[in-house]
Amino acid sequence: MSVRANWQAILGMACALLAFAFLPMTGAASTFMAVTIIMLIAMGAAASAVRPASTLSNLVLGLCPHIAVYLLIALLPGAEGKASPSFFLALAACWLLAWRLVSVLSGDGSRGSGEGWLARLGVPALFGLWILILWEAITRGAGVPFVLLPPPSAIGARLMSSLPILAADFRQTVLKAVLFGFFVGSFSGFLTAILADRFKFLSNGLLPIGNLVSALPIIGIAPVMVIWFGFDWQSKAAVVIVMTFFPMLVNTIEGLKAAGDMERDLMRTYASSHWQTLFKLRLPAALPFVFNALKINSTLAMIGAIVAEFFGTPVVGMGFRISTEVGRMNLDMVWAEIALAAIVGSLFYGAIALLERAATFWHPSYR
Amino acid sequence: MKKTLSLTLALTLSLMAGSALAADKITLQLKWVAQAQFAGYYVAKAKGFYDEAGLDVDIKAGGPDIAPEQVIAGGGADVIVDWMGGALAAREKGVGLVNIAQPFEKAGMQLVCPANGPVKTEADFKGRTLGVWFFGNEYPFYAWMNKLGLKTEGGADGVTVLKQSFDVQPLIQKQADCISVMTYNEYWQLIDAGYKPEDLVVFNYSAMGNDLLEDGLYAMEDKLKDPAFKANMVKFVAASMKGWKYALENVDEAAGIVMENGGQDENHQKRMMGEVAKLIGSGSGKLVPAAYDRTAKALLDQKIITKEPVGAWTAEITDAVK
Amino acid sequence: MTTSRLLPVATITFILLVLWYIFTFIMNAPFQRDQDQRDGVTSTFSELVAKTMRQPKPTMPAPHQVAQNLYKNIFTVKPTSQRSLVYHAGVTLSSTLLGFLMGTVLGILIAVGIVHIPALERSFLPWIIASQTIPMLAVAPMIIVILAAVGVTGLLPKALISTYLSFFPVAVGMVKGLRSPDVMHLDLMRTYNASKWQTFRMLRAPASVPFFFTSIKVAVAASLVGAIVGELPTGAVAGIGSKLLAGSYYSQTIDVWAALIAGSVVAVMLVMLVDIAGRFTAARMGGRPA
Repeated sequence: MSVRANWQAILGMACALLAFAFLPMTGAASTFMAVTIIMLIAMGAAASAVRPASTLSNLVLGLCPHIAVYLLIALLPGAEGKASPSFFLALAACWLLAWRLVSVLSGDGSRGSGEGWLARLGVPALFGLWILILWEAITRGAGVPFVLLPPPSAIGARLMSSLPILAADFRQTVLKAVLFGFFVGSFSGFLTAILADRFKFLSNGLLPIGNLVSALPIIGIAPVMVIWFGFDWQSKAAVVIVMTFFPMLVNTIEGLKAAGDMERDLMRTYASSHWQTLFKLRLPAALPFVFNALKINSTLAMIGAIVAEFFGTPVVGMGFRISTEVGRMNLDMVWAEIALAAIVGSLFYGAIALLERAATFWHPSYR
Repeated sequence: MKKTLSLTLALTLSLMAGSALAADKITLQLKWVAQAQFAGYYVAKAKGFYDEAGLDVDIKAGGPDIAPEQVIAGGGADVIVDWMGGALAAREKGVGLVNIAQPFEKAGMQLVCPANGPVKTEADFKGRTLGVWFFGNEYPFYAWMNKLGLKTEGGADGVTVLKQSFDVQPLIQKQADCISVMTYNEYWQLIDAGYKPEDLVVFNYSAMGNDLLEDGLYAMEDKLKDPAFKANMVKFVAASMKGWKYALENVDEAAGIVMENGGQDENHQKRMMGEVAKLIGSGSGKLVPAAYDRTAKALLDQKIITKEPVGAWTAEITDAVK
Repeated sequence: MTTSRLLPVATITFILLVLWYIFTFIMNAPFQRDQDQRDGVTSTFSELVAKTMRQPKPTMPAPHQVAQNLYKNIFTVKPTSQRSLVYHAGVTLSSTLLGFLMGTVLGILIAVGIVHIPALERSFLPWIIASQTIPMLAVAPMIIVILAAVGVTGLLPKALISTYLSFFPVAVGMVKGLRSPDVMHLDLMRTYNASKWQTFRMLRAPASVPFFFTSIKVAVAASLVGAIVGELPTGAVAGIGSKLLAGSYYSQTIDVWAALIAGSVVAVMLVMLVDIAGRFTAARMGGRPA
């Protein structure tokens, strides 16, 4: 067993030692707590330097910075905005050690190394966790006004206490406007691309105009759609349809060109018709492009529906809630809606990614 | 006339340049885009009233989705124009806003319905769709419905609330039975759209006694503890009210000044100036305690705020204005 | 290209214009009937049609009204004037381009990082995707207020919103593109003992070019949307977004449509530039004709 230092540990220790110079950590924190926190950081740093790394040393590296940061945040109640440089130095030290942990978990080699499912799920989870930790510690430590940026703990509490409202908004925005708009928009974009591919006259005439019409900045068409389709979800779905149409059209047309000349010549030697070539060769070859568009559309659909609700709406919906609660200074509710949108959007995207994996398993990027 | 105007303007400009170093900088955040609703401030700046008081005032226009409360909490402004409802709600969220002056004595908000439509009186609201603005402007409406005992979740016994956009389209498109308008702004857009005053049934919040306080000046509580800042606020309010007085006496010139600062449609601004004049009242900028109490009670009744606000307004600044 | 496309484009444009006029009538007629009723006049059908085509604040402006407005605001006023659409388009274009540039560079960097560093792929990729599910456009006004509070004002906040929207399509497309070379080709590079850099330069980067141009086409449109939305909370001072806002605030639908068309023209020009650059690059690289 030997010791080999890494830069995160060295920098982290430097931060921790410097933290001693600026005590106390917050207005009323005891020196005992400060020493405990810095000891934990030192233990984590030491564990990270042990070679070869054992399960034990990794466990110490995994636990120490997180206990330390938990204690740090526990110093905050009653001392919001009174954190000293010492507090932030200790925070930085914990973060550096967590970074080290991520490097260790993901392994330095190629795919398949690391520690299996733990690394696959643990690494992104850790990354996300640390975004929240830093957000919480910095907003509360530095006393950022609540109406500018509330801490995640307040957002989480609000999320839990407002589930019925969030559920109603979800129904209105996602289940009605987003899903309908996404499917109709993507599907019609796809069909138009195939038609335009078949009939040169259509593609020659439609593409330049399609580009013009579909590149309309959606924020502008939203009020127009409200006038045309009323203020309920139909007008939001219409905005989503227009938004999702363009990426699908462009990507599908691009994808239909993806099949190589050699393969096309082969199809020709088989005397296959336009439609046979399309279904057996060119559409499968275009699938990666189509899925690329679906992925982009999944996020565009959410954004489009939410922004469209900034104009006339019934008094329910995620966009309605965001715009009105900003006006009421309920920033925790605003962020709770944003969090909901992010979760829904991620699941939506994840579902499409899984589907893509199943449908285009042959593509080089999966081998 | 034109010559003296340009002369004073040149003088003002040179004064501004000369006193820029000495003057104290004050940033004013408005609640909405540049229009005659804020003419007093633009006039006070253009006519040099702020300079005379030794202030260098920067006026920032607002817009939809800009919350002045958020701007001042982030330190982007020293004083804001806000409605009492929004200010009290923000105060409870920890933004220590204090009303230092209330230039608008009366409220300009009203609900209008087409005369040939189904709504003629308050009794006809049941089962109807009513357009309301949000973003802090919804409190007077909900207070009123609360008073009438009408539910706002739709259905036959209540009213369906539509969050309306910033124009009068919902009425023209018949998406709503009634919509919110300001006496000085959207009402005239309806008139422009071809409605005649007798084509409209008007429910005016001030006339019904349901008005909540609109445009007031708010500053941060902790900053007001600083005597120098407080003295500047006294100067600022005095110069602003002087600006309002001048604007009311010279409507056309004031509308012109608003146009120079980014206002749209000069005729519209002139009309707006005339309507705003009716809301200013005495022009002292003093807050009427009864109106404040009514506003606070309405907000409490709707649970917009949960406890009686304390110290949310002060007469010290307006009392110090000579 | 010119003759083969002219006829189809003209035909479809003509069909769309006719549809537009029909829609103008359908959308404006109800209000006109109410108006006539209030004025106490009865119009014949042809009078009604004529009236729906010249309302000052129509629900749906007729094409010629929009065209007149465009002509007035582009050709009859100085391009530097506040009233000129050229001026507003210029303001929007500058923040769009800045944001697009920053977004493209960021997107490429992220894609290169993800393809080459496994730790980055594991920890970063899921969160990049999650970042796009945040409805940035919805919170853009709030973001601009917060940025202004910390002293970031002017062109940069708007450009940052464009960056946020445009880096994602580039990153996703480029990850796909950089991984698009066949395993056979990658193996070939390995047999040549090529370094990572050589593999990148000679195989991955060229292979990703078609993906790159497809994604930046989307990115440039997204940048424009970001810039326009970013202009809304600046108090309607300058830019296409502020024109839209001021127009919709005063129900000046003709102005709104003119601003929308101006925005679309900017969008189409940007997409066309990208397209031309893509074709030119493909030709220079000796790519196979599609």
